[in-house]
Amino acid sequence: MAGASVKVAVRVRPFNSREIGKESKCIIQMSGNTTTIINPKQAKDNKSFNFDYSYWSHTTPEDVNYASQMRVYKDIGEEMLLHAFEGYNVCIFAYGQTGAGKSYTMMGKQDVKDQQGIIPLLCEDLFTKISDNTDNSMSYSVEVSYMEIYCERVRDLLNPKNKGHLRVREHPLMGPYVEDLSKLAVTSYNDIQDLMDSGNKARTVAATNMNETSSRSHAVFNIIFTQKRHDAETDNTSEKVSKISLVDLAGSERADSTGAKGTRLKEGANINKSLTTLGKVISALAEMDSGPNKNKKKKKAEGFIPYRDSVLTWLLRENL
Amino acid sequence: MASLSSDEWRAICDKFTNAQNLTEVESRNDPENDPFRSKYKARELLREIYCSLKSFEVSEGEEDGGGESGDPRPAEQPVDGQREDGFGQGFSGDSPAGLRAAKLGAVEYYLGVNHVDTEELSAGQEHLMNCMKLLGRCSVSSENVSLFIHVRNQLGILWAGRDETETAQGFLETAESIYQHYMKEDGSPPTDMTEYFTTEEKLLTHQERTKRFELAYTHTMYYLAQVYKNLGQTERAATYCHSTLQRQLQLNQFNPMEWALNAATLSQYYITKGRYMEGRHCLSAATVISGLAGEVPSEAAAQESETENERREQLRQKRAEIARCWIKYCLNLLQDAKKLLEDNIGELDTDRQDELKRARRGEEEEEEKGRKSALLFGSEDTFDSIASLEEKVRCLFPLDFTEARAVFLVGQNYVTQAKEYFQMDGYVTDHIEILQDHSALFRALAFFEEDLERRCKMHKRRVDMLEPICTDLNAQYYLMIRRQLMFELAETYSEMMDLKLTLANRQADTQSLDSHTIKKFNHLCSASAKYFQMFLDSLCSPEGKVPEHLEEEVLRPALVARFRVARLHSRLISSSPSVQLDNLNRSLENYKYVVQYCETHPEAATTVETELELSKEMVGLLPLKINRLKARMAANN
Repeated sequence: MAGASVKVAVRVRPFNSREIGKESKCIIQMSGNTTTIINPKQAKDNKSFNFDYSYWSHTTPEDVNYASQMRVYKDIGEEMLLHAFEGYNVCIFAYGQTGAGKSYTMMGKQDVKDQQGIIPLLCEDLFTKISDNTDNSMSYSVEVSYMEIYCERVRDLLNPKNKGHLRVREHPLMGPYVEDLSKLAVTSYNDIQDLMDSGNKARTVAATNMNETSSRSHAVFNIIFTQKRHDAETDNTSEKVSKISLVDLAGSERADSTGAKGTRLKEGANINKSLTTLGKVISALAEMDSGPNKNKKKKKAEGFIPYRDSVLTWLLRENL
Repeated sequence: MASLSSDEWRAICDKFTNAQNLTEVESRNDPENDPFRSKYKARELLREIYCSLKSFEVSEGEEDGGGESGDPRPAEQPVDGQREDGFGQGFSGDSPAGLRAAKLGAVEYYLGVNHVDTEELSAGQEHLMNCMKLLGRCSVSSENVSLFIHVRNQLGILWAGRDETETAQGFLETAESIYQHYMKEDGSPPTDMTEYFTTEEKLLTHQERTKRFELAYTHTMYYLAQVYKNLGQTERAATYCHSTLQRQLQLNQFNPMEWALNAATLSQYYITKGRYMEGRHCLSAATVISGLAGEVPSEAAAQESETENERREQLRQKRAEIARCWIKYCLNLLQDAKKLLEDNIGELDTDRQDELKRARRGEEEEEEKGRKSALLFGSEDTFDSIASLEEKVRCLFPLDFTEARAVFLVGQNYVTQAKEYFQMDGYVTDHIEILQDHSALFRALAFFEEDLERRCKMHKRRVDMLEPICTDLNAQYYLMIRRQLMFELAETYSEMMDLKLTLANRQADTQSLDSHTIKKFNHLCSASAKYFQMFLDSLCSPEGKVPEHLEEEVLRPALVARFRVARLHSRLISSSPSVQLDNLNRSLENYKYVVQYCETHPEAATTVETELELSKEMVGLLPLKINRLKARMAANN
């Protein structure tokens, strides 16, 4: 896809009460699009990283350097919407530990002025642009779906009564999709807001060992945006369909501590304790390149590894 | 056993049971913001046990009055990291002192694990090393061997976690040699870790003791497999994975489908290393063991119950995946045989064939010996089924058409099986990958087929299989796959074209070909060019613009496609000069592209050396040919 690009933004939030109580020191500094992690014990040991955007939100709006929700939206959300209107699929992930502020950035606070997150601002903007359109040959339709991925199972948050989990499948013409996932038509931002609220309420309530529901499941909110142009001369209708995927990822802290049956393979030199990971270890062996003798002309024998991509990766493959 | 009052002893045993319960059961209910609550409680109890034992020990020591030789010399212990056999000095494992050491050691062990679980690695290490020191004064016996193994397993995990793989290796290899030595010298069901603090009535049966002990060693094998993998010693790692699987079967500690999939995955490792005998054994075992998982629930049953539905899906899917592993086995076997037998133009070298057939007679005996030394899977019930499955397909390279066909048919059978589950509607990518494998099976078999007509028919089967798919796929979602299919179709048509020509040339005495053959030839030639062109078109932007810069993954294929299109156009046969001119111009255009692209992108030249050289020649020669043709055309008008 021409002009396909990946942008990375980093954002730092204010201290919460626990952190204030412990008199924590902030070890993050930002300047321009560079984020620096300070080593309080060794001043020379600072490490700096460049991103597309570094958002300093540690202080308050009174601070001139403060990056507000609106600023984040203007940088990131507006461009996404533009691409969507051009007919491209766009995707945004929020990644970080539980409590880092992912949901604040993505959803924000609904009822508080100026604290709406990317998703509500984007949706508002979408409908504003639609209603601002004066070209009669253009017509638009917007549908949404909202699903939750928890322990590799997909749930329809807009139809939570459907107790079972949904299967993910591939269709030759439609591509990858979630079977029976509700796709509801919406005509205004309010519609979207209502659906999001009810969807959020339906997110998985804690099983044992888990507290915050949102900390363990991924939520994917999809907006399917169809633009139809009717050419009066030829009487043909062409259409552009783009998908806007808004992903609120589960907390990135180690899966182990959930006690959930983590069969995620540990990285590096770590040893996996449980025999349930035997399959992953064997797969890794089968996939390893054979030593230094990599004769390029000789095609390496290929095997089939019975291994499934995680549901999330698979569904968002086209975006990745 | 103990001179502690039986009440005191019971109290200790109860504490221990509590600690176990807290660690294993209660801890699961600990809240997110206090996840180690139960484990901290367990720790306190363990500490109390330790203190009780210690204080008791002091008094015991006085009673004994120095029964053992004063300060015990440290037993010649297997030094971790070296395989030594110095077992035997110091306290005997079953002496009172030995038992005391074991009990104390066990508490240190549990404290060690407790600290590791609560992410306090240094403290964990300290306790585990204390356990080691206590055991260090004893010889290995059935009272303590389980502890000897467990503590080293834990230390192995701990050090691996610190990226000190060799240190981990040391501990685990020592555990391995302790186990082997013990089984050789003694072998009796050893005291289990949990039995140090149980009352007489609750002692485990011999069977249970053995089961747990063997499970500990299975873990040792598994951890060693991971260590070797991390050290890059993949072959050793595979052997240890194999042993782990083997033990799971022998000890009846496995889930059939999970085991079967793991064995099938291991077979793929063997296949990529060309070890077909081991690969076949793994696959046969996988198939047999997967059968132990039971019958697939019927569709009706699946409709009614969610659990039955899921079970049906799981079983069918996993069995289909094992079938796919078998397909790869057959395919790789054929392809490797082809590599051995082909000469420098890709045809079967009959001399080499004879040579290999002679050599093989010796090889079959080797197979028998290898078989015995290789690790066999199974138990009494399954050995035979596994063996009979193995007999259905060879593991030595097929050296002629008959042998190749037999392998092909086995592969084809698994293709059918796999496609039953991985249907197009629902599993597009998987379905097509299976078709691609099927096509590759035909391609490999064609190599062995001497009759050119029949060979051509095999390629036709490939085209018939893949052509309809190519057009019916969504171009956006399945871009990669479509490109692969286009390229394969283009090459297959080219093969058929060459075969037709060879056949025609053999039949005709003169150089000229009849019109039917020409038509056929041209059809195949254009079809090939069409698909190469389709591939090239897929690289363009939505507006049809040719990319200025080719990405690494498509660089070589794109340039090769250009080259082939050029070549194919120059081979089209036509009696019409204007058509000939068109073809030559198209041909020149594409050769030029190759040359020009390599000029502006020097790094590209290395990927298509041969094609570039030929393209340069043609860019020099073709204009002359074109001019001659133009001159002739002018002259005739």
